[in-house]
Amino acid sequence: MPRLLSLYLAFPITTMQASNTFKQAFLKRMLLGLQLAGVSSKCMTIQERKSAIKLSADVAMACARGSTNWSRAIVTDLSKQEKNKVLLRSILGKDFERLIKPCHHTWKIPRSKKILKRSFRECSRRRKGLRAPHGLATSVLARVLVKKRTQVLKRLIPGGEYLDGSYLLDETLDYAISLRAQVDLMQRLSKAFEASKLGSHNVCTLQARGDSYADK
Amino acid sequence: MEPTRSSGDGSGNSGTYTPEIAESLRFEEEIQSLMRENTVHPSLEPSPAGGGSSFTALLGLPANQAVELLHDSESGDSPAAAAAAAASSGGGDMWRFGLRDPKALTLPSGCSPTFPSNAALVERAARFSIFAAAEESPDVASVPSHSGDHSTKPKAEPPDTECQPICPIPVERQQRPAKRKEAERGNKVKGPAKKSRAAEEGSAKVAEESTGGDKLPYVHVRARRGQATDSHSLAERARREKINARMKLLQELVPGCSKISGTALVLDEIINHVQSLQRQVELLSMRLAAVNPRIDFSGLDNFLSAECGRGMVGNGRGGVGMEQSAWMDAAVVNGGRRQQQQQQQQIWHLDLVHPHQTPSVWEREDASHLFINPNPGTSLFGYDPASSGLFRVLNRVETGKWYVKPGTL
Repeated sequence: MPRLLSLYLAFPITTMQASNTFKQAFLKRMLLGLQLAGVSSKCMTIQERKSAIKLSADVAMACARGSTNWSRAIVTDLSKQEKNKVLLRSILGKDFERLIKPCHHTWKIPRSKKILKRSFRECSRRRKGLRAPHGLATSVLARVLVKKRTQVLKRLIPGGEYLDGSYLLDETLDYAISLRAQVDLMQRLSKAFEASKLGSHNVCTLQARGDSYADK
Repeated sequence: MEPTRSSGDGSGNSGTYTPEIAESLRFEEEIQSLMRENTVHPSLEPSPAGGGSSFTALLGLPANQAVELLHDSESGDSPAAAAAAAASSGGGDMWRFGLRDPKALTLPSGCSPTFPSNAALVERAARFSIFAAAEESPDVASVPSHSGDHSTKPKAEPPDTECQPICPIPVERQQRPAKRKEAERGNKVKGPAKKSRAAEEGSAKVAEESTGGDKLPYVHVRARRGQATDSHSLAERARREKINARMKLLQELVPGCSKISGTALVLDEIINHVQSLQRQVELLSMRLAAVNPRIDFSGLDNFLSAECGRGMVGNGRGGVGMEQSAWMDAAVVNGGRRQQQQQQQQIWHLDLVHPHQTPSVWEREDASHLFINPNPGTSLFGYDPASSGLFRVLNRVETGKWYVKPGTL
């Protein structure tokens, strides 16, 4: 399945970290998005600006990640509002079409899975006879708990409600890694901007933090 | 630990002892010549002295490994011992010794600054074993393509009598070359530790092996002892193992989750983690919104393309630091000046920030810059080094090491 291959090859699994190319692509897109959204103009309220920033951050993350279920879902959900659609199109360019296009396996797989599950349930029921749930049996309890958690998880992950089982966990892993990278980069951005803002007031107070300016 | 050097070592794997002695000598020579050249030959040909069995292919493997270990460890005392040890024992033992010896030998010697991690060696070993074994029987080839669900297997599992490389299992976690991945998807075979115990397995095994091969859309699972072998339960077991493997990966991702046992609790932790990350994104975007009106993005962009054109101009101690601070200033400083100088490639919807001039820095920047005009129609910064420049710059901010030369401001 090419989607899963891209999932594994994109992030090194040992370190559980997003790659540098991802981060760079993310930054590029985010800055482009911030510009295009016009966040520097004074005529926005804070709320508007915040949502514009969040939008450009999410879109940048989705674009940098490429074609995964959650990235597509992010773009699709955002473009459901008309006012965002124009902005998205200008930020993403041709990637917009690529990410919006409904991929074959995103909606066929869950449907076929449901059919399979139903048929399996019927078959096993026919074979083993109806086994009543054991009331407070721990296995049943555990299953119920897990089911509840997976429902919550499905709501959290963008586009997760159409996934199930191992696919959902795959997406969770990928999404969590990307989120972490997003948070990291946004923290750095905000630090940089705040520092420069500080610097504009009083340039002379910039102090040397360390002697060696070793390049990373 | 002293590896047994007798060539007639009874690992019982290969019945050809005499070629092994000859091979060990050959290996030693090669290794010493390699040591002299100090180059690694990962493509060392496995000497086909033992006939067409897979053992000879595996014989080549430890030699490669030994060569690389020796090269990387750069310890002069171990080559002969390791080589001999690697070459003299049987197939599976050779592999094991090859893997464990460097640890034993280099630790006392205390050197090996460039000793690669076990993981890299194991990965190479896996690759070689797969490539070597793939030319032999298809049966051998099918085994190395282990599924990722073997993460439950302990990594120190001793090789079994068939010298099946166990390394794919630890390697699974560390590298998934696309080729093997595809083989996995199609052909999942349980490890040798679980094979051939029960009568039921016979039927299942026969059924699986008849369709063995690479890149089939079916999942092949060997039945365990005492378990049902009908296709439904097999499929369900395969599915469960997949899910368990993913859960393990997620446990590694979320900090502090590896000691929790139980799917529901682990899922709890994962959910909390994802929720906290999402909340952090919200908070950060609020922070950026609060800070933002001062930032002039056009100036930022111009500055970045210029910065990367200039590279790291050594300007005493302050060279790179000046660049850093100038970036900070430029972000806030009037970018309009710069904008007039450069052609507009992108759509700037921005109002200019009020000019806040620091002429001294600015002029210095101007003097030493090469302006690079990004090609129209390409990426935002014209070329990738720009984004890496920003990235680098942000890294420096992160580490808190930015610096302004005292005399410039």
